[in-house]
Amino acid sequence: MSVQEILADENELTHLLGAQQSVVLSTRVRLARNLEGFPFPGWAKPAHRKEIAERCIEALTQLPRFRKSHVFKMGDLPDLDRAVLVERHLVSKELASGKSGAAVISRDQTCSVMVNEEDHLRIQVVKAGWHLRGTWNIAEQLDDAIGASLGIAFSDELGFLTACPTNVGTGLRASAMVHLPGLCLAGHIEKVTRALSQDGLAVRGWLGEGTEAAGNIFQISNQQTLGLSEDAILRHLGGWVKTLVDQEWNARRKVAQEEGERFVDRLARSLGLLRHARLLTSAESMNMLSHLRLACDMGCLPEERRHVVDRLMIEGQPAHVQARQGAELDSDGRDSRRATAVREALRDFPEVGSPTA
Amino acid sequence: MSNPLKCSVCDAVATVHLTQIVQGKVTKVDFCEACAAKGGAGDAAVFKLADAVNKVTAGPAITCPQCGFTDVEFRRRGRLGCPSCWQVFGVALGGLLTKVQHEIQHVGRAPAGTIPVGQLRHRLLAAQQELTAAIAAEDYETAAKLRDEVARIATQLDTL
Repeated sequence: MSVQEILADENELTHLLGAQQSVVLSTRVRLARNLEGFPFPGWAKPAHRKEIAERCIEALTQLPRFRKSHVFKMGDLPDLDRAVLVERHLVSKELASGKSGAAVISRDQTCSVMVNEEDHLRIQVVKAGWHLRGTWNIAEQLDDAIGASLGIAFSDELGFLTACPTNVGTGLRASAMVHLPGLCLAGHIEKVTRALSQDGLAVRGWLGEGTEAAGNIFQISNQQTLGLSEDAILRHLGGWVKTLVDQEWNARRKVAQEEGERFVDRLARSLGLLRHARLLTSAESMNMLSHLRLACDMGCLPEERRHVVDRLMIEGQPAHVQARQGAELDSDGRDSRRATAVREALRDFPEVGSPTA
Repeated sequence: MSNPLKCSVCDAVATVHLTQIVQGKVTKVDFCEACAAKGGAGDAAVFKLADAVNKVTAGPAITCPQCGFTDVEFRRRGRLGCPSCWQVFGVALGGLLTKVQHEIQHVGRAPAGTIPVGQLRHRLLAAQQELTAAIAAEDYETAAKLRDEVARIATQLDTL
């Protein structure tokens, strides 16, 4: 079982044609759960953590959803492999930085469970595009299946008991990864971010907490987990995502109309640069690929090319570039490898045309 | 030289300093690098959390008999020791929950195979309110259905 298999296996975020959508890149649902009678991982002694990991992995790998799953123990993985899993959002930075954590990842990479992160179990389901109910249904089934084989810490008053007070209750964090180049170009992004945070939603960058919004990509998630039903949390997020998608499209059309040829020129220059550059930094390629994604959404490039752009965004991250090369590379080496991979993938891309959407 | 500022969560030397101004009210929080990365500096929730964590431990020292976790540790980490800690520190945590979560009663799902008491209580309250409204609107057909639902949930909760 190796991280190379994760890279090689086709999955819906990077390969599946037709799974991608404009604006919403992916939908994610996370549930925090803990075993009854055990200290939380941050306070547990190593022996306890080991016992917790064994119990959880044993129970998880019995489930049909995790047949032939990948099981990774963080202590056994090289730094680079752990970084790849973080970049794929399959494990958190916190889990990857410790030795006693583990992750069980389904063959199709849709479901992953982190063991011994801040909580004993962090169940995560991710789907390409916007599928809140579908994603939630899988998480709910998985939660029930796990709860049937492991005693889960719960109180009638406080719900699912978690290590941190910000997760208690439902333990549910639902999120959408959204691509908002239109709102960024129109200069409305700060206003939108403010409105979302005032209404109880967190807005974060591409790699979660404390990261920058590279490539105009933002992660929107609920903050409150107690005193609201799962359904209410999902409806609240869903309502805002629908509004955001509408506002983003309005902004795109307005900018395209106002800028005319300058709009198309911007997108075409990005394609030109990506096709010819010999050295590409991670931030530069993300920002240019954001333009290509916008071009695919708006009919300036064929829509069926969008999954190539999404794949390059994921595979252009530093650890991915090095893992593909099979060796650690310095900054110039990474930029060179990244540029080569991008050039090859975009070689047969058609020219950027005028918007049709 | 003056003493370096301490992290609001773990007492280590703080290197990240946040100032939040909301309608003229200035709030300052200091974090060490680890806690800032963990809590997501720049996130409004962090202010509320750090603030509330500091207030929780104003009373006498408390220790969880199950896992030995103390309120001092809670102030340092902002995390609890084990599921039983929620009961042990319950009173103190009530204020924190109102601050961080705005609510103190779970109304969502329960583990597989158990009765979702929180969900039932929540529905009971909602059905009672809907019943009052239906009676006021003289919608007796709906009122009759709601009365039956209220009775059914109440019986279910009584038998627990």
